[in-house]
Amino acid sequence: MARGVNKAIIVGTLGQDPEVRYTANGSAVANISVATNETWRDKATGEAQERTEWHRIVMFGKLAEIAQQYLKKGSQAYFEGRIQTRKWQDQSGNDRYSTEIVANEMQMLGGRAGGGGAPMESGGQSQSRPQSAAPETAPMDDGFDDIPF
Amino acid sequence: MSKGINKAVIVGTLGRDPEIRYSSNGKAVVNISVATNEAWKDRETGEAQERTEWHRIVIFGKLGEIASQYLKKGEQVYFEGRIKTSKWQDQSGNDRYTTEIVANEMQMLGRRSEQAS
Repeated sequence: MARGVNKAIIVGTLGQDPEVRYTANGSAVANISVATNETWRDKATGEAQERTEWHRIVMFGKLAEIAQQYLKKGSQAYFEGRIQTRKWQDQSGNDRYSTEIVANEMQMLGGRAGGGGAPMESGGQSQSRPQSAAPETAPMDDGFDDIPF
Repeated sequence: MSKGINKAVIVGTLGRDPEIRYSSNGKAVVNISVATNEAWKDRETGEAQERTEWHRIVIFGKLGEIASQYLKKGEQVYFEGRIKTSKWQDQSGNDRYTTEIVANEMQMLGRRSEQAS
């Protein structure tokens, strides 16, 4: 019997450079803010409408290090992962909830901010720079027990 | 240039019957609470771990009415839609955020208890 599927697919543009920190055991955690846009025509008025949606995307470990190295404000990228809501307490002790996408796959796309120069594009590059970084789609199964929260 | 893609795919089980209400222009707004489960083995201890994630799914209009009519607590359903975060103010005036999935596609998969037979 299926346990369920929890999948998010986001293609969007980074609103700022990734924020990266390290857990006590030295594993990277990257927080990324990504915008997706939607346009439609208002049924009643016929006017073109537009909305920007902001997504909080978090990555761990190797993938986080790759994000830190290659993504910046304005980069366009593909993210795939699961939706996760965390509960935390604010300064007044109230329960608060934050929903994020925990990405286990990322691909850099052409987009705006000089994506052509980055060696981690899915198209593959001829330059053979010695890479200590893992390929862009690092599997996520090393992440769960590292979650710092 | 691409505007972006914002897609969520959820297959899960309803935690309770859908709640339906109607907006001021008569359109149905249906809220659904869906659980997905994840199981994995803890790398260090080898112990099986399990987590339930709850998703807030909202469906508008005709599809919402269909959901409200046919879905119940315990039903396993496929949903596809986009992720949307709304900002609102709580009683103390603080900004709060709620993330939901606005579903534009739904398929009923049967009740979990029936699938074993």
